[in-house]
Amino acid sequence: MMTKGKSKTPLKLGLLLLLCPLLLWLVLLVILPQLTMLNISLQERVAPRIYEYGFSNYIEFFTEPLYWNTFLRTAVMSIIATVLTLIIAFPISYYIAKMLRGRAKGLLLVLCLIPFWVSELVRTYGWMILLRESGVVSSFLQYIGMTEGPIEFLYTDATIMLGLVYSSMLFMVVPLTSTLESLDDSYIEAGYDLGGNGLSVFWQIIVPHAKPAIISGCIVVFMLTLGNYLTPILLGGKSSLWFTEQIFTQFITRFNWQQGSAFGVLLLSISSLIVWLGLKLSRQSFSKVMS
Amino acid sequence: MLNHTDFDLQCTDLVRQFDDFTAVDQVSFAIKKGSFFSILGPSGCGKTTLLRMLAGFDDPTSGDIFIKGKSMIGVPPNKRPVNMVFQHLALFPNMNVSENIAYGLHRQGINKVEIKHKVDQVLARVNLSGSGQKEISQLSGGQKQRIAIARCLVLNPDVLLLDEPLGALDLKLREHMKVELKKLQQEFDTTFVYITHDQSEALVMSDQVAVMNHGQFQQVGDPQQLYFQPDNAFVAGFVGDSNKWSATVIDILSDSLQVKTTTGFILYTKKSDEKAFIIGSEVEVFIRPEAIHISQVSAPKADQNQLTATVNNILFDGANSQLLVEEQTSREEIKVKLPQTAEFIHLKKGDNLQISFPKQQVNVFPKLQDK
Repeated sequence: MMTKGKSKTPLKLGLLLLLCPLLLWLVLLVILPQLTMLNISLQERVAPRIYEYGFSNYIEFFTEPLYWNTFLRTAVMSIIATVLTLIIAFPISYYIAKMLRGRAKGLLLVLCLIPFWVSELVRTYGWMILLRESGVVSSFLQYIGMTEGPIEFLYTDATIMLGLVYSSMLFMVVPLTSTLESLDDSYIEAGYDLGGNGLSVFWQIIVPHAKPAIISGCIVVFMLTLGNYLTPILLGGKSSLWFTEQIFTQFITRFNWQQGSAFGVLLLSISSLIVWLGLKLSRQSFSKVMS
Repeated sequence: MLNHTDFDLQCTDLVRQFDDFTAVDQVSFAIKKGSFFSILGPSGCGKTTLLRMLAGFDDPTSGDIFIKGKSMIGVPPNKRPVNMVFQHLALFPNMNVSENIAYGLHRQGINKVEIKHKVDQVLARVNLSGSGQKEISQLSGGQKQRIAIARCLVLNPDVLLLDEPLGALDLKLREHMKVELKKLQQEFDTTFVYITHDQSEALVMSDQVAVMNHGQFQQVGDPQQLYFQPDNAFVAGFVGDSNKWSATVIDILSDSLQVKTTTGFILYTKKSDEKAFIIGSEVEVFIRPEAIHISQVSAPKADQNQLTATVNNILFDGANSQLLVEEQTSREEIKVKLPQTAEFIHLKKGDNLQISFPKQQVNVFPKLQDK
């Protein structure tokens, strides 16, 4: 080690005490449960109340098409939701950060924040009131004569997507807005001044500057979406086929903790893998994106 | 008349109004091809607004801008044959030096081989050959400056606009870059429009300087004209260092005016034909510190203001050293250039000196109305 002399100095008690809450939180609430879950997932039942170590829970996942189809569907839907959120949030953030001045700017950010003052459950029920067969949208369409009978908007993939994008929007808008705000107007003006058009200024100046925020926003939104339970269940109903629902079923309905744990570990692995792939593809480092 | 080909840039009656504030007020000027034109003014005088209108980031309320005889009204910034060096340069941090310079060339749709050739060429001309692969953050302040200029000049603009690009540099580098900018301008033979609040930058580099205040051009002329023949009290006070007094005309003589400052100091000033004063008119009087001659002994000469003064303070600054002296009867303070010669080397506070300055070097203007 380069700092041989220094590393021998004993850890200061004060520093240790300061780190205590963080260490406790990490160990007790993050690392320990995950390790326990990994442990449980590797146990297979050979007889009532008798367990042995083995991979049967994982093998079960790969041999039962329903499980891994649900798993893939959840991952793909989450990626689509993330991309949609980005596409919708970018112009909003740009408008808030660059077009607005003073009070209007704060007001619009608060407007984005307000839905998050009520719980996710209430927000999702709000959508259900709007979209159900006897709901506001359906009644309105009948009132203006666009349709003959009532229409059911709930329980489709599009509705799930709507709910997911809606509930993730803030987590994309906030990092994007603050990063775009830090982009000096003169860079954009210089881009135009040197002959660039809107498209080239956007791709060569604005996007590279906002890239860390885009990636970090995408990571957060993707994680939240992949692990979301309420929105897919309530808006998608029985046909939602969301992977968290499978985990819930294993733990609560079928009381198969071993299988549920295996699913939990798999979900953690796939989300880590996809985030890692995303970082590789966009050539960003995790520490830079999260700073 | 407007199709004069020897003018790269012409503005006619340019006005820019923001609500009830007029930032640029009836400005007209024409800039000769290949010259270095500075717009000098205090902050808030409207010079940045004027420059942004030339670049196309802002539209004039009325008036017209012509570049090479073509009106620029309604032409967006990316279609104008002008380029701008921004105050903080705005070099794109996500691109290296070559990519920064090539950005504009790519937009013109030039092929890659030619772009590379042009980039190398312009880098050589700003003495930064071989820096193409460097990141912007690896460059020094002066190098960034040159890359920002190269990035514009590689596009061969008719006019290059510079928005106080030296403001962020330290003093030594700023002095150096002044000379370098002037050289670059001559080498590329491009018309430069430079805005600054620093009179030394404007005077050193420019062929023509426009002094701007309250949205209007106060005077346009070469640096010597502005310095020696200011048109009004604002120019006289803003350009160069001056003693400035408020005074009242007390007598009108054949070749000069006699004025009395508010503290009672009486002196004779230049009498010009264009400006008519009556006895009792309020005026402002300017005399440059270097026009004042000091000596230990009295040697009366015609056409001179003569007085005795006491040394109040010695402000030593090498070749720019000054004395603050006090006129004996009125106690008016006067700034005087202190030559670093053997005669004055032992001068100290409280010493008496003979002071003289020619009447013809004392400028007098009607008092400025406070806006």
